[in-house]
Amino acid sequence: MDPITFSIIRHRLYRVVEEAVITLKHVSGSAITNEGHDLMVSLYEADGTLLLGGVGFLHHLTSAAEACKSIIRRFEGDVHEGDLFLLNDPFTAALHTSDIYLVSPIHFNGELIAWSACFVHVYDIGAMNPGGFAPEAQDVFSEGFSSPGLKLIDRGNLRQDIWDTLLNMVRGPEMVALDLRSMIACNNVAKDRMIALIEKYGLPTFQETCKLLVEQSENRLRERLRELPDGSWQSRQYFDVKGEVYKVLLTMTKVGDELTFDFTGSSPQSKYSVNCTKWASLGGLFAPLFPLLCYDITWNEGVIRPIKVIAPEGSIVNCIKPSPVSVATVGAIQSVNNAACTTIGKMLASHEKYNDQTSAVWHANHFAVFMFGKNQKGGEAIGILTETFAGAGGARTFADGVDIGGEIPNPISRMANVETVEAMFPVRYLFRRRLMDSGGGGQYRGGTGGEIALVPHDAPDGGLHYVLSGKGSKFPQSEGLSGGNPGALNDYVWVHTDASTKGDDCFAQTLDSIPGDKESISWGVFPLMGKDALYVRWNGGGGVGDALDRDPQSVLTDVIDNLISPEAAHEIYGVEISDGVIDDFKTGERRSLLKHKRVSSNGEKR
Amino acid sequence: MTTRQSSTLVVSNGFTCCAHCLTEISPAGKPWKRSASLSIIKIVQIPGSTSSTHPDVELRHFACPNCSTLLDSETALPDDPFLDDVLNPRREN
Repeated sequence: MDPITFSIIRHRLYRVVEEAVITLKHVSGSAITNEGHDLMVSLYEADGTLLLGGVGFLHHLTSAAEACKSIIRRFEGDVHEGDLFLLNDPFTAALHTSDIYLVSPIHFNGELIAWSACFVHVYDIGAMNPGGFAPEAQDVFSEGFSSPGLKLIDRGNLRQDIWDTLLNMVRGPEMVALDLRSMIACNNVAKDRMIALIEKYGLPTFQETCKLLVEQSENRLRERLRELPDGSWQSRQYFDVKGEVYKVLLTMTKVGDELTFDFTGSSPQSKYSVNCTKWASLGGLFAPLFPLLCYDITWNEGVIRPIKVIAPEGSIVNCIKPSPVSVATVGAIQSVNNAACTTIGKMLASHEKYNDQTSAVWHANHFAVFMFGKNQKGGEAIGILTETFAGAGGARTFADGVDIGGEIPNPISRMANVETVEAMFPVRYLFRRRLMDSGGGGQYRGGTGGEIALVPHDAPDGGLHYVLSGKGSKFPQSEGLSGGNPGALNDYVWVHTDASTKGDDCFAQTLDSIPGDKESISWGVFPLMGKDALYVRWNGGGGVGDALDRDPQSVLTDVIDNLISPEAAHEIYGVEISDGVIDDFKTGERRSLLKHKRVSSNGEKR
Repeated sequence: MTTRQSSTLVVSNGFTCCAHCLTEISPAGKPWKRSASLSIIKIVQIPGSTSSTHPDVELRHFACPNCSTLLDSETALPDDPFLDDVLNPRREN
């Protein structure tokens, strides 16, 4: 095939996805979509083969492919031009019920030639807790509306009975309707642009390009894998829910041009909603694989073919229905994502050519806080604190991680302005800033996470409540690489006072100076009422290399910028600072002492 | 001949060696951490931790027993085994 035409069509497909994403954002009214970019758009071939993974949450690329295939099987003989299907059942293909897939067939001259798919985390799904994350759910039946596939639009006509039924089951139906309409518009734009593309280049050329695009990706990934050494690499993640500790253990084995991800040894499924289905695990491991290993390869089915996954049934990475899964996207999926990031990073570091493509784990743990209640305008409001998308970059082998640098599985994630949140909810920020000592220590430091504190403000009901699915406060999850330390942990603190407490409005600038009793919390529904405050800090990225090899001047700069404490400079980096100046002699002595301790301590061998 | 195993380790003459001083750590193709110097610090003692941090979780540092170069680190609960990263020895030239 003419390589110029191939390249033009390939780039045009990217623009189709890009324009569809813009449409989705323009129509949706949810902060989680517009501000957090918790969305995804992708294109599929007629048989559901992933043709082009777009931007957004990469966990969904493979799941949405399965959603397409599931719709094709379920509606065999009943797929028509102008149809649009909905699927959000986690045990069929979705990650959790809140992330609704809308899947649209694309016809050309009456022939089914492709599919487009998109998702957003809808405003509400009717789960027992507002916003979709349901930490109190005991099974998937408590996690809201769930469909293994239904036809929402039939030959261009909205099925009003289905529409009304769905909206009758959720909070904030007008906002959920806007979410759904944004996805319908998104699919319509993708469909129109695909048809225009085919009209310009012809169906045979388009189909040949699709075939070559998938083959090219598979060939290029296999070629890359053959360059890398054979071996196996392990990673382990811990997380905690209400005192119960869960483990995701991954052994990644590379032989020739194939990779196997084996999760044998991971914990049994949980009674809490942090489990993930096998589709979710698949999405979790591909999210770092696409950008780390295929940064210059088109993300499609060709990348999936050399990959094998072993996820024991009944485990936390392949739970059995009706296990609750609503917190999966910030639960076990993230641990799968982190573990895969580490093993892929280790493999890349084993080859000089790819050493600079590796990375320690980025923002390893979302702190999912969904606020709900009456806002200052008298309306009901539900929404996530989008700082959870702010993230933190893992260190690289040549540079520090990016502070508040986002996350690997969603290259376009971001957080809303403080003012946006304050306009939507009756709250006031006391502070929002980078968090000292949160980036993992190393020759290259992990990017910092952040910290925020909120108080009620101008609230008709005296405040509001929030659903907290908080993990990551017990175990660090942003693993370091090549000797780097992990990023610091999350933490969630409810500061509460007696209702009768009098005093001025709080303008405290640190957690310690907020008046009231401080209680660490992590799981459930909590009040932000009266003179309560909510403090949240989120994890930094992992470090890379030996912290004792870090340039002392960089350590001093970090101390001056309040990114690391003098204590960390001494304890982790062995840098002695006196009156704002590095003491070279004492630093040398300190570093020698710390190095000596490594070989003189009596760590038990396991 | 030496070949790279990681940014801190190489394979040389059938052994996994410290990349800095070429001290032999263990036979190539086998888990090497048991032969490295191990030092352990509780995560809760590292600046940046909080009172919520699990009291038992630890950071393991594996170092070259000869030159103290840090070879790798891992986070673990005390009863969990070392994570093993192994290269197929066929790769050695």
